[in-house]
This record gives sequence, C-alpha cells and structure tokens, in this order.
Amino acid sequence: MKKNNCLSVMLNGILKENPVLVLILGTCPTLATTTNVFGAFGMGIATLMVLICSNILISLLRKVIPDNVRIPCYIVIIAGFVTVVQMVVHAFLPELYDMLGVYLALIVVNCIILGRAEMFASKNTVVKSALDGLGMGIGFTLALCAIATVREVLGAASFGGNAIAFLSDYKIEFLVKAPGGMVVYGLMIALVGALTHGKSPKKKEFSCAGCPSAGICHANTCAEGKEEV
Amino acid sequence: MKKSIYSIMVLVCICATVSVLLALTNSITAPIIKKNEQKNANAALLEVYPDGGSFEQMNIKSYTLPSTVTEAYSAEKGGYVIKLETSGYSSGMVIMCAVSEDGKVVGTKIIASAETPSIGGAAADKFAPALVGKEIGDIDSVDTISGATKTTAAYRSAVKDALNASVILGGGSVDIRTEEEIFNDNLDAALPRAEGKFNKHFFVEVVEGVDAIYVAENNTGAVCIIGEQFIGVDANNEVLTECSDADAQNVKNAMTTIKATTTTELDLTAYEGLPSQLISAERTETGNYIIEIKGAGYGIVGGDEYHPASGEYIYIDVSLTPDGKVIDCMTISQAETDGIGSACADEKFYGQFDGKTEETYNDIDAISGATMTTDGYKKAISRAFECVKIFEGGNV
Amino acid sequence: MEGFKSLIVILLSSVLVNNYVLSRFLGICPFLGVSKKINQAVGMGVSVTLVMLLATVVTWPIQHLVLDNFGLGYLQTIVFILVIASLVQILEIILKKFSPALHQGLGVYLPLITTNCAVLGVAINNITDGYNFVESLVSSLGCGLGFLLAMVLFSGLRSKIDESEVPANFRGVAITLIAASFISLAFMGLAGIVDNLFA
Repeated sequence: MKKNNCLSVMLNGILKENPVLVLILGTCPTLATTTNVFGAFGMGIATLMVLICSNILISLLRKVIPDNVRIPCYIVIIAGFVTVVQMVVHAFLPELYDMLGVYLALIVVNCIILGRAEMFASKNTVVKSALDGLGMGIGFTLALCAIATVREVLGAASFGGNAIAFLSDYKIEFLVKAPGGMVVYGLMIALVGALTHGKSPKKKEFSCAGCPSAGICHANTCAEGKEEV
Repeated sequence: MKKSIYSIMVLVCICATVSVLLALTNSITAPIIKKNEQKNANAALLEVYPDGGSFEQMNIKSYTLPSTVTEAYSAEKGGYVIKLETSGYSSGMVIMCAVSEDGKVVGTKIIASAETPSIGGAAADKFAPALVGKEIGDIDSVDTISGATKTTAAYRSAVKDALNASVILGGGSVDIRTEEEIFNDNLDAALPRAEGKFNKHFFVEVVEGVDAIYVAENNTGAVCIIGEQFIGVDANNEVLTECSDADAQNVKNAMTTIKATTTTELDLTAYEGLPSQLISAERTETGNYIIEIKGAGYGIVGGDEYHPASGEYIYIDVSLTPDGKVIDCMTISQAETDGIGSACADEKFYGQFDGKTEETYNDIDAISGATMTTDGYKKAISRAFECVKIFEGGNV
Repeated sequence: MEGFKSLIVILLSSVLVNNYVLSRFLGICPFLGVSKKINQAVGMGVSVTLVMLLATVVTWPIQHLVLDNFGLGYLQTIVFILVIASLVQILEIILKKFSPALHQGLGVYLPLITTNCAVLGVAINNITDGYNFVESLVSSLGCGLGFLLAMVLFSGLRSKIDESEVPANFRGVAITLIAASFISLAFMGLAGIVDNLFA
C-alpha cells in the first residue's frame, strides 16, 4: 500500500499534475528554452536536480525551520542548489551553459521549485518529497522536450541541433521565434486538456496554489490571481 | 522574542552552510571553467601557432610597438602571437601572426578583412603559406599575388610589423619608424624651431650642390638636403648644422638664389600653337619657365582626351630651363585610384623627372600597376617641353 | 551626445525590441495571471518598474563593489534574490506606513514580484551586458516600461476574448497564450526600428 502511494506521488507529477501542461507553472523557461531539444532537455534535467535536492533538504529541515522565516530559508536553499548546478554546467557542459544563459540562474525563481517546497516538501517525509521532486522534474523535462521537439523539428528542421535534411525546405520559422513558442505551448495545453478531458480539475485555474508567493501574499491578491483565466 | 532570535539563527545558519557549500563547489569548478575559457581563447592562437602550447596575453602598453599591433601573446614554447590591424591602404585587415623565438614567421592568418573575397581574399590564402619560415629581410622577396597588389602590400607590412614587435617584446630594440617618419624626424632635428612644419620648396632656378630645400612654415628658416645630410639654415641664411665648408657654401648660395627669384606671368594668347592642356606659365628674370599643365589620369581616353564620365586630370607644376631641361616637378592635385595611381602624388615618382630633357624624360620607372596614369603624366611633361620651345620662339 | 544616444538606444530596445515579456519570456507568469483588468495591469506594471529600478540601484554596486572585489562572483544568484526579496518587503512596509493610498494601489502586487523572474533577470542581465551604472538604470527603466506596455496592451486584448466563444479545450490558459503570441508578433515588427534610428 505504501509503495503504491509512493508511486502515485511520482506519477502525479508526470501526468495528472504535470507542472507545465496542467498546473501551468514555470512558463518562463518553458517558452524560452524550447527552441532546441538539447537545451530543453538540459534545462529540464537542471531543474530536476535542483528540485530533488531542495525537496530533500527542505523536507529534512521541515521541523527545524520556523514558520515565519521559511520563505527566505527556502529561497536561500534553492538559490544555493541552483548556483551549484550553474557552476557544474559551466564547468562540464560549457555549450549548454552558453545556450541557456541567464535562464539557468533563473531556475531560482521557477515557480515549480518554491511551489513544491511550500506545498509538498514542508509537509511530507523525505522519501515522498524526493519522489515528488523526481516526478515533477520528469514531468517538467518531458513537457519541455515535447514542446521543443515540435518547435525545433517544424521550425528549424533539426533535432537537438542535427539537421533533418528532407524538412529543410519546409521550415516554419515562426515556431522558433517568441510568438511561435506561445502558440505551440497554448496548443499543447489545449491538447492535454482534450486528452485528460476534465480529469484534471485544476486545469482551468491559474494555479495560485502553486505560486511561490502564495504563502506570503495577501488573500485578496490571490483571489484575484486565482480567478478563472 | 526567543522565537524570533531562533528564527534568525536558523536563517543565518542556513545562509552560512549554503555559502560554504558554494565556496567548495566553486573551488572545484572554477579551475575547470578557467581552463575551458582559456582553451577557447587559445583556439584562434593555436591556429597560427599549433605547437605554441598555452598562451598568455601581454600588456602591450608597456612597450613601444608599431601602431598596427593591437594584441600580443607570449607562447609557452617560446615566441609570440601578434594581432595586428592594418592602416593606410587596405585598412581594417585584422591579421594574426605567430613569430618564433628566432624571429621567423610561424604562421599567419587573416581574421577579418574588407577585401573582395575572390581577389584579395584568395591572395591571402596563397600569400600566407609563402610567408612561413621567413625572416624580416626575406619578407619583401615573397612574390606578390597578381591582381592583389594592395592586399599583399598591406599583408607584407603587417607581418614586418609583427616581426619587429616580437623583437621589442623580447627586450630588443628596432627602429619601427616608417620612412616618412624618419624623414620628418631628420627635418625636425635639423631645424627644431620650425616645430615640424615644412613645405617643400619648388625650384625655379638651377641650384648646384643642393638636392632639396624644405622651408619652415613659420618662416624661421629652412632645411637643405645634400645627399644623406640634413642641414638647417635660419632666416638670415646662417648655417645651423655642422657640415663641410663646401656644403655650407652651397647651402648659402642656394638660399640666396631661391630668395632672389621674381617671376612674371606670361600672356598665353600672345603665342600660337600652345597645347590646350597648358593652364598658366610664368618666366623668371633669369629666363626659366614655370608651367602649370594638366595630364590625363586613369580612364581618360587614349591617355589624353578628357572623358568626363570616366576620368580626372592630374595637375602638375614643372619648372624648366630655357633650353628645355626639367629643374623641378611636382604633382599639385590628382584623383587617381587610391593605392595605385595615387602614387603619382608621391615624390618618389615625380622626383624622377628632375634634370630630364626631351630626350631622356621617357626613361623613368612607371608606377607599378598604373600604366595609364604614368603615360598621362609623361605626356604632360612632354607638352611642357613643347611650351618652352614655343615661348623661346622655336617651332614645334 | 554619443553617450546620450546610446542611452536612448538601450531604453528603446528594452521597451520595444527586446521586450522582456514578449521576446524573452521573463515575467510571463504575472503577464498571464494579472492582466485581466486594465487597472490590475497598470498596478502590476508600475510595481515591477519600481522594483526593477530599486533592485538595480542596490545590486549593481553590490556586484561591482563587493562580489567582484572579493572574488565572490559565484554568490551572485543567491545574493541578488535575497536582496530583491528584502527590498520588496521593505518597500511594502514603507508604503504601508507612509503612503497608505499608494500601498492600497501597489501594495497588493508587491509580494507577487518577489520571485518575478523579470526583476532578477534584469539585475543579472545588467551585469552580464557590462552596462555601467547609468546604463543599467536606463535598461531597468526600459524593461519595466516594456513590461507595463505589454501588460496594458494585453489586458485590452483579453477583454475581447471574454466576449467571444472559445472552444472548450482552449478556455483558460491556452487561448490566453495564443492571444499573447499576437502581441508578441506585433512587437517583432519593431525589431529594425532601433538599429535604424540613428543610421
């Protein structure tokens, strides 16, 4: 029973509560790093690492951290892991580092991570938190890769930087530009909505629950933010 | 109260731990990152100096290097890689040149240039390998690539600059002044009070023993050139530079002669048969002539007739003796192709006509790559001889 | 004069060409979330501009006087995010105390900005682009104004969506994103404007 529970925690992040396509979190990296599958995958894995590490640490410290300073503590922990990931990528994958640029540092403000810390890790056991981070991270990576595949293959006639010869005359360059990213993302959300067909109750809500500021923000703002979009 | 102190302590502890963690990670990754960055920066250097090992950028401000040098790196295995940007003709070419410890070219490469890729660019590809292994004295003997005289000339001078720079970087000294700079420095040394501003005197009298006179713009004197010697004279014809008595006498005579000259403008309508290219003529009281005449530049049909759509005239001043010998010659203005025909404004070219007569004026070196300009110039000089004959009452 | 020109170029390019929301996707969360009504959009935009400017005033000297001097460049992310978070808190407290009216207008948006990636993005980009202090301020101002402009324009567009029949699966975020792409597309048309301004 317990094992089942753990598995469902993980699968939750990948499918039912996919952070990108269902909870609509982390929109900024989703749009910015999906012009290239390699970059999207790298971004996904980097986020996954930070997510697992911060979830584990925050869950470990959940009884130590006082409630009134928890948000600053979470931010420091997350920023620490982000910087570690940043340095490791810079040292060992300089190509990826150049590709992601400022977005690597901006994992710090990715709503998913602070959101999971606040929503899950601070209330659950270490194992569960780690699995939640893993599930959310995989869900994030898969969604990014899916969007990047559509954008790169159709928009730049390549996959992970390798040119696809027979498509080179039929590039839809719009897709690798900024507005194209929004369109593909929008269509993906609609597609997932159609497939799950109402099974994800949260999809019509601009999820304030996952918003990092939810804990510190005023109830009235959240009410406004939570309105149906 | 207790609770808030506890909160702050937890926060501080977390901050401290995270900082320590980051410092640790940084100490591991920083050297790798630095190495990667160096590798990237070195890639361009290794291309011209594959065996150079690692490179270190030098502070070029602490040396007096040729002005074309923009960056310099010392190689681990000895020698230097020097980055240059050409000026003057073919300006804006960025060249990397590796020089070995014993002053030989190891490799060169053009990084950026505004040259025509099919001509200048191709020339660079052929020219660069030919430079490898050459010392400074051999550079001029490397064959010029046909059709790209400008590019190769600029390339050549850049490589020479690099070789000179490597000597200076190695602690040696080299005269990096250009010929023109050396000449100007000599003028300045002979007459400092002119503050470096001179005008070349245009001879209208035959002056013996003095090759050229440069008059100070501020009228404080002049510099007479005799062979390799630069002799300064003040406004009262007193010789300022130490020299032999004979030279001093020559200088005094020359200065007196050039000051005494007065001229009268000739009325061109009084003569028949003068060439239409003649603009004006003057006669000195000693009977010499100063003639301003135009010659056909590049693009003027047949090197003679002016063709408005395609060419410009070259304006020339010539002074001649009554018996038809050139005393002095000077280009006043020209609009020839920069870097090729424009050499007709160079004293090295027009100075060749000094002392020539109608029989010998053809015997000069043409401007390389600018036959039409040279021919137009020669034609103008030959017309000047005709003019003198007409003024002297002879028939043409 | 030359310096003034470059400031104008920085300002215009960050408002129009490299608009943070529409071409770099920074701050897209509030862009999608708080742009339903025009007064909300203006409130959010003004707050973001204010915080961006303040963050630059503080982070630029920290980077150049402290971090660079002591070789602590690797603490950039952590220091900047903490500085921004504290700034927002302090600003909120000050507003609450001294200008309740302003707090009424902007205060509600401030907490949302703490982790707005546009603010951190501007602070970091100003450093990586090698801007001096004045250029950094101008670029922050430009980014903030660009954000405000995008928010206001978009809130106008969204009121149209409310009046139209949207297919069930597109309702909500999906159609909002597609609508946002129109605004982004419109801004792409401005790309050449700054380069040719002084040409």
